Amino acid sequence: MDAGREEDFPGPLRHPRVEAAPCVALVEDEFQIRRFVRAALEDAHFRVEEAATAAAGLALVAAARPALVLLDLGLPDGDGVALIGNLRGWSAVPIIVLSARAAEAEKIAALDAGADDYLTKPFGIGELLARVRAQLRRPAPERGEAQCRFGDVCVDRAQRTVERAGAPVHLTPIEYRLLCLLLANAGKVLTHRQLLREVWGAGQGENSHYLRIYVGHLRQKLEADAARPRHILTETGVGYRFRF
Amino acid sequence: MNPSPASPPPAHPSGRPAPPPVLPVASPLVSPAASALPPSAAAPLAAYAGAVAACVATALMATPLIGVVDLANIVMLFLLVVVLVALSLGRGPAVLAAFLSVALFDFLFVPPRFSLAVVDAQYLITFAVMLAVALLIGQLTARLRLEAEETARRETQTRALYDMARELSGAVDAAQVQAVAGRFVRNALDASLTLLLPDAAGHLHPVDAGSDGSDGSGGSDGSDGGKAAGPATRKGVHIPAVHADAVFASGQAMMFVADQDGFAPAMLFPLSAPQRVCGVMVVSAASAERVLPAARRPLLEAVASLAAIVVERLDSVAAVQHAQFGIESERLRSSLLSAVSHDLRTPLTVLVGLADSLAVGKPPLPPAQAETAAAIREQALRMSGLVHNLLDMARLQAGKVCLRREWQPFEEVVGSALSGLEAGLHGRCVRIELPADLPLLEFDAVLIERVLHNLLENAAKYAPDGEISIGARVLPEVVEIAVCDAGPGLPPGGEERLFSLFERGRHEGGTDGAGLGLAICRAIVEAHGGAIRAEPHAGGGACFRFTLPRGTPPAFDAPPGEA
Repeated sequence: MDAGREEDFPGPLRHPRVEAAPCVALVEDEFQIRRFVRAALEDAHFRVEEAATAAAGLALVAAARPALVLLDLGLPDGDGVALIGNLRGWSAVPIIVLSARAAEAEKIAALDAGADDYLTKPFGIGELLARVRAQLRRPAPERGEAQCRFGDVCVDRAQRTVERAGAPVHLTPIEYRLLCLLLANAGKVLTHRQLLREVWGAGQGENSHYLRIYVGHLRQKLEADAARPRHILTETGVGYRFRF
Repeated sequence: MNPSPASPPPAHPSGRPAPPPVLPVASPLVSPAASALPPSAAAPLAAYAGAVAACVATALMATPLIGVVDLANIVMLFLLVVVLVALSLGRGPAVLAAFLSVALFDFLFVPPRFSLAVVDAQYLITFAVMLAVALLIGQLTARLRLEAEETARRETQTRALYDMARELSGAVDAAQVQAVAGRFVRNALDASLTLLLPDAAGHLHPVDAGSDGSDGSGGSDGSDGGKAAGPATRKGVHIPAVHADAVFASGQAMMFVADQDGFAPAMLFPLSAPQRVCGVMVVSAASAERVLPAARRPLLEAVASLAAIVVERLDSVAAVQHAQFGIESERLRSSLLSAVSHDLRTPLTVLVGLADSLAVGKPPLPPAQAETAAAIREQALRMSGLVHNLLDMARLQAGKVCLRREWQPFEEVVGSALSGLEAGLHGRCVRIELPADLPLLEFDAVLIERVLHNLLENAAKYAPDGEISIGARVLPEVVEIAVCDAGPGLPPGGEERLFSLFERGRHEGGTDGAGLGLAICRAIVEAHGGAIRAEPHAGGGACFRFTLPRGTPPAFDAPPGEA
């Protein structure tokens, strides 16, 4: 839980000037939750703007142009998922939803609508900061570099080669496509449906076991211990997430 | 058989009570004698005396006419008397009157008078024709009379049936059905009626007469000692349960004779509604001396079918009410659950967050306060876990868990369970031994991860040191997954009890948990069609094994170039 505080992240911590601090929009109806989230974010040198309803949240995001949105899915005046759909119509701002445990369907709906990550209540401050920073660190898609490394694996997307500990690894076309998709969305949770649609095309909802089998293959080829992956992570009941 | 009992009772061509219908013989208790009718010859002696009197009177009246009218006309008088006797007294007296007329005519009118001897042989023809005509006319007239009576009786019966049907349509429970039909049977046959209806398990029970009992059963006899020895004991007529069950199962009517104990005969009819047999109607004679005429069987079948329709209607009304109640209570339960889970989660989230803010705030807290803040955080998280467990258990116990089953490799859920439990395992070594050929399994990943999470957490909690292992075996029908530890093992003999609610391995204060964990595991595994059990681990410790059915995994066809 404390990983976020102990790691030395680049970004806001190194630039404590307030005016340069990224703005986080917090849309949450519980005052006490807003209170401790605001305190935690401000301690970490973020600027925080608050809204208690979906309508106010939408107006806030339009006016303040935040670097990130924290959105509670259980707002009193409306559907958080609809708010995400609206935002995604005109903004690529990273969205982290705050959601209940055992509410996978809600999470999937939010992610499918365009949310980037979710935090399950109750969450600690360390976890919150780690997720926020991870979203802010994510490279914009157009800034993606050809080469990237994780663990002892090196992927060269220009050359379409994958090496592990210096030795070439053979990936099938689907495995490679899947890996590139995960890398391009590193840090973001991709739902099963999103992955199936991107890799296999539309209409593959019935064959989600293909996705799981190929993810298993990738783990066997690229992870040190396929049963306990460090990079290609399972979000149970929701999808997958790549972590560098 | 299942006659269509709603149709009117078929007319008997002879006008006489029908011959005993062939009934299914199911036991020695049933005998043809049961259906033997009281002969219609049981017409009282008075009728025969009347016939004799009529003939004698005719003879006396005709005597002065000797010599005035022709003998042939006197024959006509006798024939007229036979017709009248047949019309008013029935067939038997008519036959007697026919013979008596011939004898009296011979004795009193044919010369030589006052002797049965006949001088002129041609009178023999007269006698023969007279007898034949008298018998024929008597027969036909008597039949006419019976048919007229039968028609009138049927009309009365039909009206009574119609009245009963109208009354039945207003019945709101089985006791009223029994009371209404019972009243009808008592009036029509002087018999009593009991309905046997199945309970949820399909066992027949007599309808509790309830408030209508006095209305439906009063008066007909005094032998109702209120005894309730057997399921079908009523008014001294004991119908062995097996026979009622046989009628219920086969949908065939059955008749009984008095058994050696002298109990009155009875008839059993299935309550055959359009959809199914919904019970059994027992009709028993009011006393041991009486029997139920088999001819009334069509009538009783009509009663049974009317009662059946009403009983079925009552059943479906009850079913609809039950379903509506179920839907209502389910809606209430789920909205209650989500409200409770939201209302509990919010303060817990705040507690965890605020405790965290204390811990990370600046300046740093003194060690004692930092420890307090950490304890608050830990306890709030634990509380959150308990709430989660309780809500899960409530959902699982409601039996309304919607499994999101998908085919997936089991390995994946092992990985996610372990990564979700990093803090709970306290850096313990977990050995994973999954066979390479483990087939895809169809399960709800979130719930099965929860099973693994709970089992691993238990292992870490109750076996504080030593290795924890996760293994799997492929069996013919199922895949068995085992989570084993090297701890102190299980309380002997109590393995099964571990899975009950609020059961803990040992009653000690050092480890926490409300004992919900294993009960949830069992509910989840059983919802998947598997089984879970605990057993001692070879070499010490405990092993929790659960199975998941293998089913038929979907095809996996690697596209070209994907080998």
